[in-house]
Amino acid sequence: MFRNTRDAWGAPAKLFHWLMAALVFAQIPLGWTAATWPLSPLKLNLFVWHKSVGMLILALALLRLAWRLGNPAPALPADTLAWERLAARASHALLYLLMVALPVTGWVINSAANIPFRIFWLVPLPAIVEPSKHAAELAAAVHFGLFVFLATLLLVHIGAALRHHYIKRNDVLTRMLPGGGART
Amino acid sequence: MRRLIWLLGLLAAAGWQHALAADWRMDPSGSRIEFVATFEKSAAPGVFKEFDTRLQFDPDRPAQSRLDVAIKVTSADMGSAQVNEAIRGAEWFDFARYPQAEFHATDIRRIDSNRYLARGILSLKGARQPLEVPFAWSESAQSATIEGELTVQRGPFGIGTGEWKATNVIGGEVKVKFKVRLRRAG
Ligand code: HEM
Ligand code: HEM
Repeated sequence: MFRNTRDAWGAPAKLFHWLMAALVFAQIPLGWTAATWPLSPLKLNLFVWHKSVGMLILALALLRLAWRLGNPAPALPADTLAWERLAARASHALLYLLMVALPVTGWVINSAANIPFRIFWLVPLPAIVEPSKHAAELAAAVHFGLFVFLATLLLVHIGAALRHHYIKRNDVLTRMLPGGGART
Repeated sequence: MRRLIWLLGLLAAAGWQHALAADWRMDPSGSRIEFVATFEKSAAPGVFKEFDTRLQFDPDRPAQSRLDVAIKVTSADMGSAQVNEAIRGAEWFDFARYPQAEFHATDIRRIDSNRYLARGILSLKGARQPLEVPFAWSESAQSATIEGELTVQRGPFGIGTGEWKATNVIGGEVKVKFKVRLRRAG
């Protein structure tokens, strides 16, 4: 199945979800290690990886949002409460927002710090703000705050998925899995 | 007879005076030294904001010339607070111990019509290495310009020690571009 239907995610939506989940899970320790490693060639390489994966996440997030606009999500189970629907909608919207805002603030740090950078050592990334030490520090603080927000939200997100599966015993988790359809 | 000797002496002195290459001083406002290092396969440009050049030079008799350049290494600016902080350390330029670099050449020869090659010694971070500096010469009434481009290896000068010796992350070659405006002194 290609497109989303009323009760199932299409293949592109699943691929986007799990590919991006894997990238985000790799990206967090990568950013953390790069930021805390002592200045060395390895640190510079870790940063090239972190920034490159981050820009890839940004590109995928925009494609995914475009795809999502033409493909509404499958309906939640009929017994889902109003607050649960609201929480799901709000948290998913915030996750999308963060998948754009984290790379954009990272891009601002890189521009303001005026560090030469090519995505995966190939494509030069143009600057989006003027060089400024102050702006770089500010953007780094925002980047960090957004990361803390994302980490918290992901705990809630994964907790909610597990709650659907083990407590509410519905098919919300399984229908997102590759090959998984309605719960049998 | 005595007079004649005097006169000859005077003429000889004048001739000698003429043979001496002209003395040129730098006009800082029209002069620039830029460099481009490589950082993770990207160009990392910078400038030395303070330096001075003196040149004794006669374009038609370059053999009698002398080029002296003093560069305030501590005036290096790579356009990024973070990078500027890093290059001042002992692993890179070591500002504290080696604030100045110098280039001296007494061997200047013509390559073709207005292009010359100065062969001299670059002293940088306590190392002395031979260096060839090609330049183009252009002269107008009271000013002249020398302009050129060369590549310097950072390794022999110990710019980037320890782990930084490897050239895959920070390249080994640094391109240097200069344009120096000179005014006739005296
Ligand atoms: C979804 C995408 C991203 C995530 C989840 C992410 C996450 C992180 C994390 C966890 C850190 C370490 C904590 C901190 O110091 O803030 C960090 C630091 C950093 N990230 Fe990202 N990042 C992302 C995208 C990017 C991008 C696209 C860039 C640049 C183009 C970037 C540039 C940086 C920089 C420069 C730092 C160090 C900040 C500092 O000096 O404190 N990040 N990131
Ligand atoms: C083990 C980790 C994860 C699990 C088990 C998981 C599970 C799920 C499930 C079951 C859904 C479907 C919800 C529904 O049908 O309404 C979903 C949707 C979603 N997930 Fe995850 N997820 C994980 C990691 C992530 C990560 C790391 C991100 C992004 C940073 C993410 C972002 C999203 C978004 C944005 C949606 C909403 C999709 C839409 O409405 O278009 N997920 N997740």
